[in-house]
Amino acid sequence: MPVRVVESAAPSQVSEGASSGNTGPPFCSLLSVGQTFSGTQNVSSQQNERDEAWKVNVCIQGCDLDHGYLCGTMEALNVPMADTPVVTFWEGEIVDNRNYTFFTGKWEATREDDIRHWTKFPSFAPLLSYVEADGGKSLDLSSSQYIFMRWKEQYFVNVGDDCGLTIAGFYYVCFSCVDGSINGFYYDPKSSPYQKLELKSTNYGGSGFIFPAYELQ
Amino acid sequence: MPSSTPPPSASSTHPHDLVSRLSSPDVDLQLKSLREVKNQIIGNRTKKLFYIKLGAVPAVSSVLSRASSFGCDSSRRSNLLIQSAAALGSFACGLEAGVQAVVDAGALPHLLRLLSSSDGKVVDSGARSLKLIYQSPIAPKYDFLDDGNRKFLLALLNSKNEIVMGFGCGIITHSCRTSAEQKALCNAGVLDKLIDFFDGSVSQRDASLESLTALLKNNCDITAKFVEFDSGKALDLIIKFTLDKSLKTRLLACCCLIMIRNVSSSYLNGMDIERKLMSYLLELLKDTGQVGDDAAFALASLVEGKEDLQKVAFETGAIDEICRHLQRGVSCSQRYRGLLIALTNICAKLEICRSRLFSSQALSSVRDALRRDCDDVKTAACDCLRSLSRSVKNLSAGYFMNESFIGPLLELLHDPSLPVQLAALRAVSNMVVDFTQHKSYFLQAGGIKLLVQLSMSMDSALRTHSVWALKNYMFLADCKFKEAVFNELPASSLVSLICDPEISVREQALGLVRNITDGSPESYDYILSEDGVILDAIGRQLRYASETEHNIQGLYALSNIASVSESHKDIVMQQLLQNAGTSDEPFIMEVLCCDDSRLRTAVLWIIINLTSPSSGAPGRSVKLCAVGVLSRLKCLVSDPCLEVKLRAKAALGQCMNMGEGQVEAIGFIIK
Repeated sequence: MPVRVVESAAPSQVSEGASSGNTGPPFCSLLSVGQTFSGTQNVSSQQNERDEAWKVNVCIQGCDLDHGYLCGTMEALNVPMADTPVVTFWEGEIVDNRNYTFFTGKWEATREDDIRHWTKFPSFAPLLSYVEADGGKSLDLSSSQYIFMRWKEQYFVNVGDDCGLTIAGFYYVCFSCVDGSINGFYYDPKSSPYQKLELKSTNYGGSGFIFPAYELQ
Repeated sequence: MPSSTPPPSASSTHPHDLVSRLSSPDVDLQLKSLREVKNQIIGNRTKKLFYIKLGAVPAVSSVLSRASSFGCDSSRRSNLLIQSAAALGSFACGLEAGVQAVVDAGALPHLLRLLSSSDGKVVDSGARSLKLIYQSPIAPKYDFLDDGNRKFLLALLNSKNEIVMGFGCGIITHSCRTSAEQKALCNAGVLDKLIDFFDGSVSQRDASLESLTALLKNNCDITAKFVEFDSGKALDLIIKFTLDKSLKTRLLACCCLIMIRNVSSSYLNGMDIERKLMSYLLELLKDTGQVGDDAAFALASLVEGKEDLQKVAFETGAIDEICRHLQRGVSCSQRYRGLLIALTNICAKLEICRSRLFSSQALSSVRDALRRDCDDVKTAACDCLRSLSRSVKNLSAGYFMNESFIGPLLELLHDPSLPVQLAALRAVSNMVVDFTQHKSYFLQAGGIKLLVQLSMSMDSALRTHSVWALKNYMFLADCKFKEAVFNELPASSLVSLICDPEISVREQALGLVRNITDGSPESYDYILSEDGVILDAIGRQLRYASETEHNIQGLYALSNIASVSESHKDIVMQQLLQNAGTSDEPFIMEVLCCDDSRLRTAVLWIIINLTSPSSGAPGRSVKLCAVGVLSRLKCLVSDPCLEVKLRAKAALGQCMNMGEGQVEAIGFIIK
């Protein structure tokens, strides 16, 4: 989801691939193509006296677990500066210790920034010491009920780049395989810290989950 | 209207007369006619076809047959043999119709007999023709498991005559296909013989490299034997040949190394040979002749299915280089095809590669190729666009759903060539996974109508891929797009597809239902139309089919239907409680107990949807528990698969959260 521009976005660094052979996170049907989530992003900050939360919808459009890749769209509904909902396309890195580790290594995020954000998730607590020791490379994530990711918005889908909003930062994301709930923290050194994203899996009218699917050839 | 018949030149005899003179009893006239036919057809495809149509090939073959059987004076006889063999070779050179005509005329046994002639020139002429014929895939295959054929081959390879030896290598390249044949040839000493030729002339070396590639192809044992041969010296020689003066030798050496790499990457480890091969092949692409054409195919083979090498191709600038060639314009169809296949394979897996091609000016050359005359080029262009459209990022941006991509592909769905139609369909199938409102372009362009028509085709591959495309089009589609499909595809037609004789069609049809039933009320009305024939068909298929992928689609289709109203949930219940096709157990219990965790997960989602809090949920829960679902769920909460475990917990929680009265009832029933 975009945030207000503070300064122009800095270019991101080239990613360093992980070399560990550790087992990655498990498959979860709630984290597959076609799944939708809705919730809010809290955009209040310490400087901001007034609490502000934008309604957010997310749809997963692509998922490639072999490459630790996820992508989709994020729609911010009541953005004060925009006449219409603002839709962005994002790409996600799944922490699997094969393609991506807990350390971002780009997007102006230091290891300290990484640890600081990951520790905001209670489910990360048992992993902290391992990540501090070796980046978490020794962790077996296959039995974890949580999937850790980074989501980086790539472009605006329905508005121009000159819309007065920025997508320079990225999200630290924790997904719960149990109920498909998503928590995230937006990180951009030039934006308000710890903007919280809270999403829940869309259960249609409370009467059921649906699972559409496509297959590329 | 233009005629296909070339007018006879003023200086030459009329073609019809020329052909009839081939049967003249006058040997001199025969010889003169043979020479003239041969001279006219050399390098002239149109004239070859023209003379083939006139029946010249059987006539020449008869001359060869008569001359090899009957006596006339020895020099004139030799001339007849040489000229007729050369004419037959010319007909076959680079023209499949020519090869077919030569084979059909029964000329091969006569040509083979020439190899045992005492006249060296006759032997040369026969071997040269045979070599040309055996460059074509339609030449008859040699069975190397036959002792006689193996002995004959060894005799050819042992010949002092380079052309005969070249023919020997040629038939290995042409006919050696199976591992049993490779082994038989290797055991007969062919591998050693081919390695010996490395020290011979350029033509011997080239022929040897080419047949060695056929001998090693996908064969671990023979490749290992070759790599270890003489402590790796043979392999070192091939690596050395990649830098040879002759471009053809370089290319053949590269092809041989690619074949070795395809068997196992470990043989070339530590040599950085892959990166070198890439740059050698890119260099060879610059050749404007056959070597350049073949280099594109070699490059395609090098990266095919190998993500690491696709990355190397990206890093070494292969995409840019191939794009430069395309942008310069390619008139030769074979080269165009090779370049497109190379791009297809390079862009198969990695987004960085697709992005590079997508942003290249050469993309228009790929699209232009869709409108070329040659079927192979059109097919390759479709495949390239299919590879490119695996980019979810670009699909999400709606980059493909427009006139420049979809327009020509839709035209190709009418193409008379089945491979072209299929290739276009597969590209369309990706592009319709569009996440934007651009889906309306496809509808307005008549795409839905066309796909539905193709889904009724007699060809099962067309049916499979057209339903696949419809399935992808329906992914997260708005109501108006769904209604367009419902209008074209009545429930009874969808039922025919769900019950198609081909499992691949059935699987895609169930996937289509899965995507149709993703939320809109119209789609649920459609599913229950015509007395619920669609649901009945799905239930029947699931109860009797054992194919996992097919059943996964069917179960998720039921799960989606079970997410709607009470009546939908009840109908799904009925399907689940029916006995499985081959057992006395209800279908739902069979799936809950199956080995595949994906099937267990899918059926658990159905249970979750059926028992999610609603007025009818307690009743459905009671029925489910009555057939043993509750006790099975209790087992599944300890399932080794985390996903199954979590969904079983959720389903069990919902079942247990019912009113106390129902729980007691369940307890009673279970006891």
